[in-house]
Amino acid sequence: MSGADLELRDVRLAYGRRDVLRGVDLHLAAGERVALLGENGAGKTSLLRCISGLARRHAGVVLLDGQPLEEYGRAHLARRIGVVPGQTSVAFPLPVEQLVALGRIPHEHPLRGPRQADREAVATAIERVGIGHLVGRDVRELSLGERQLAVLAMSIAQQAQLLLLDEPTVHLDLRHQVEVMELLGRLAVEDGVTVLAVLHDVALAAHYFDRVALLHDGRLVADGPPDEVLTTARVRQVYGVSAEFAELVRRRVGGGTGG
Amino acid sequence: MSTRADAVRPGAVIGWRPRLARRTAALVTIGLVALAVALVAGVALGNVYVAPADTIALVTHRLLGWPVEVTWPASAETIIWELRLPRVLTAMITGVGLALAGAAFQGLLRNPLADPFVLGTASGAALGAALALVVPVQFALLGFGLVHVSAFAGAVLAVAVVYRLSRLGELNSLTSVLLTGYAVGSLLAAGLALTMYLSGSHLRQIFFYLLGSFSLSSWPQLAVGLPIIAVGSGVILTRARALNALLLGEETAAHLGLDVRRERLVLLGAATLITAAAVAMSGLIGFVGLVIPHLVRLLVGPNARLLLPLSALFGASFMAFADLFARMPGELPVGIITAIVGAPFFLYLLRRYRSGYAL
Amino acid sequence: MDASHTQAPRPQPVRGFSIALLAAALLVGCAVQPPAEPAPTPANLAAWPRTLTDDEGTTIELAEPPERVISLSPANTEIAFALGAGDRLVGGTDFDDYPSEAAALPDVATFTGVLLEQAVALEPDLVLAAGNNFTPPDDIERMRELGLTVLVVYAETVDEVLSDIALVGQALGADEQAADILSGMQARLAEVQAAVESVPERPRVFYQIGSVPEIYAPAPDSFIADMVALGGGEPITTTDPAVFSISVERLVELDPEVIVLGDAAYGVCPAEVRTRPGWESMTAVQADALRPVDDVIITRPGPRLAEGLAALALAIHPTLDLQPPTDGAVLCAEGSLAR
Repeated sequence: MSGADLELRDVRLAYGRRDVLRGVDLHLAAGERVALLGENGAGKTSLLRCISGLARRHAGVVLLDGQPLEEYGRAHLARRIGVVPGQTSVAFPLPVEQLVALGRIPHEHPLRGPRQADREAVATAIERVGIGHLVGRDVRELSLGERQLAVLAMSIAQQAQLLLLDEPTVHLDLRHQVEVMELLGRLAVEDGVTVLAVLHDVALAAHYFDRVALLHDGRLVADGPPDEVLTTARVRQVYGVSAEFAELVRRRVGGGTGG
Repeated sequence: MSTRADAVRPGAVIGWRPRLARRTAALVTIGLVALAVALVAGVALGNVYVAPADTIALVTHRLLGWPVEVTWPASAETIIWELRLPRVLTAMITGVGLALAGAAFQGLLRNPLADPFVLGTASGAALGAALALVVPVQFALLGFGLVHVSAFAGAVLAVAVVYRLSRLGELNSLTSVLLTGYAVGSLLAAGLALTMYLSGSHLRQIFFYLLGSFSLSSWPQLAVGLPIIAVGSGVILTRARALNALLLGEETAAHLGLDVRRERLVLLGAATLITAAAVAMSGLIGFVGLVIPHLVRLLVGPNARLLLPLSALFGASFMAFADLFARMPGELPVGIITAIVGAPFFLYLLRRYRSGYAL
Repeated sequence: MDASHTQAPRPQPVRGFSIALLAAALLVGCAVQPPAEPAPTPANLAAWPRTLTDDEGTTIELAEPPERVISLSPANTEIAFALGAGDRLVGGTDFDDYPSEAAALPDVATFTGVLLEQAVALEPDLVLAAGNNFTPPDDIERMRELGLTVLVVYAETVDEVLSDIALVGQALGADEQAADILSGMQARLAEVQAAVESVPERPRVFYQIGSVPEIYAPAPDSFIADMVALGGGEPITTTDPAVFSISVERLVELDPEVIVLGDAAYGVCPAEVRTRPGWESMTAVQADALRPVDDVIITRPGPRLAEGLAALALAIHPTLDLQPPTDGAVLCAEGSLAR
């Protein structure tokens, strides 16, 4: 299984009179990993929603493997695109393995239910993420880091070809941040899954991603290797921080390359 | 996907599967046995003693048409066949419907406190029934009078109002839905209180309608109510996958390929239809729709593919037993029995929920 | 006994006979009655089968005198016993209290409604129900669906009570006994009427039906209001036929001269009423015209109603030239005038 090819052409989105996306062009080839950065309100989440199909009233074109999103049925889309939410709320006690099993819903028959292949995918996903020791426990009892790993396992079980992540490392301690990032790396390398991750931690993004896209005020102002994109000037412009701070970030960014 | 299947056997890593399967099988067995016992006990036992031999004889005579010599009194036949049997069956189908409606509302609204009456159905039905009772118009059709039709209409209208007001059709905050349901329900309850105040001699009837009772069950009534509840229940049972997808919220459900707006409508419509029919037949019977799904969830988890059928099964026998206990001493409204059993049980469930559970 | 009453309506002569008898009972009063039947068996067999119309307008057909009767209200139970048909009653309500044998009857009706299984199991030939929702209409309909013959009686005035007694008498084949009862009641009612008319005063009377949690008063044109008027008082009523409670302010404004404690049997006695805040301004309280009565004989639409009216009249006009009632409990030991 390989990744999906994602292309955005001049995507625009407005909520009421507020322009959120002002013409975004982006292309991810199959198997590419891109970190999407930008200040709060830049439109990162909205961009993800355009790609995942939740925001339907956008202008411009989103192509998945060369075909416009609208031409994909809902279920078909769910089998190709996996969205990893940054935060989850669960109303009822939910065992970890059942959470992971939710990832198979796009593949399940509505009436007949999960089959052997589905169960195997779930087991595989659990083992790959390394949360076998959490099986049987209630998701609500897990630490945020463990829960994020479980959600990631769910997306893996989904066997999607494009993974969209919205701030997957928020609330995570360092160890879990690293685990998640390394897992994403392995997915891309071993399965060829295309990954687009919205991150807020600039240094983390720079360390683990070969390619960074910087969104500012609804437009992509830069797209390329981290040290090229995250210049002092850019960081100042986008994040509005002082020159010294920008220089600090620059030095940290410049200190490493994508893993 | 890399083929690591050789290193992974689903059962080995996930030790829960055989355990859950065993537990599910046990529960299905218990549920079926309980159902059978409830049916037999419900027909054999009651306010009046009917000799078991007579009961068996007349039931087989009626069901199988065996040309048996009539040795039982006509009153026994009336009691067993016209009073008890439709009553037990009505109780069972109502239990099925309310349990499924409760599970559907809980899943749809992602709220453990949701029950079939959460969107104002109860108040709407009660107000409809109360108004029908005080209006000096009489009509009866197939065992249904103005009261039943009015209660049904009241329930459906209440939900329709809540639906419109909270714009449930769009992906909106569920909290606002619940609050709208509460507000509409309160408004209707006020209308009900006013009607009761002005109801004069009808007050007692309204009051007992509010507590629920199967005492007026009959075959004609069942002939109308059963198909409605059965259809609604069938629809909900096919929606297991949708309810599972909704466990993490509606956005995730959409990402998993669910047409959330359509599923909302289908689940809401089916659950409301069931609830309206149940209330129209037997008044307001609480706790079943709330407690049974929670109980089943506690035992087998929130997977709707297990939750729904088992809730239906246990809902049926629970209601039949509750009705039996309600009519043995005198004619207590069954809502009292379900409250006496359900309320403490619900408190117990809350305690269990706080500490979670492990399968 | 087989309870099949689905026969074609009988020819008119039988109906005419029944109507004539009814007319005789009501209009003639104490006058000549047909010779009393020596045997206790009910009625002249030539008078059967009978077609009756109950108080809800439903046509009831009885092939022969009912042998097994169920009563669904204490009033009907009293009527049945008074008609000498007490031995034919096979079921009653759980709040039958008069006569004392009535309490022993199997309970078919409770506060919640009719125990349908009991009703069916007793295989009655006739069920005497009470209208105006006293017996739940759904239960009446269900019983009829199950093949029982149900006669619904409901009286809104004293005269209607009398005609109900006649109706039940007809249904039970106890026409002569009904006539006896009615003539007695008519005589007593006339006695009360005469005594009341001899007194010019018509005090404002508040008949307290209940006082917890609100004050309950008779509605305009209600049975109790009529009784109070017949008893020589001017009834204080609520504002609307659908309303049963009255505010203390309104009561103070209307200023009753006599307060009849209809809830005396539930422990509400003059001593307690005197202490109620705001009530001390009422004429009745100042004049200590607080009169407890046994509400059962006053409100129950049965054979003791005439005595009830007498008791009420004496409560309103204690010095009335009238024989005290022969029925009814004595309540609130101090100051009781319902002797």
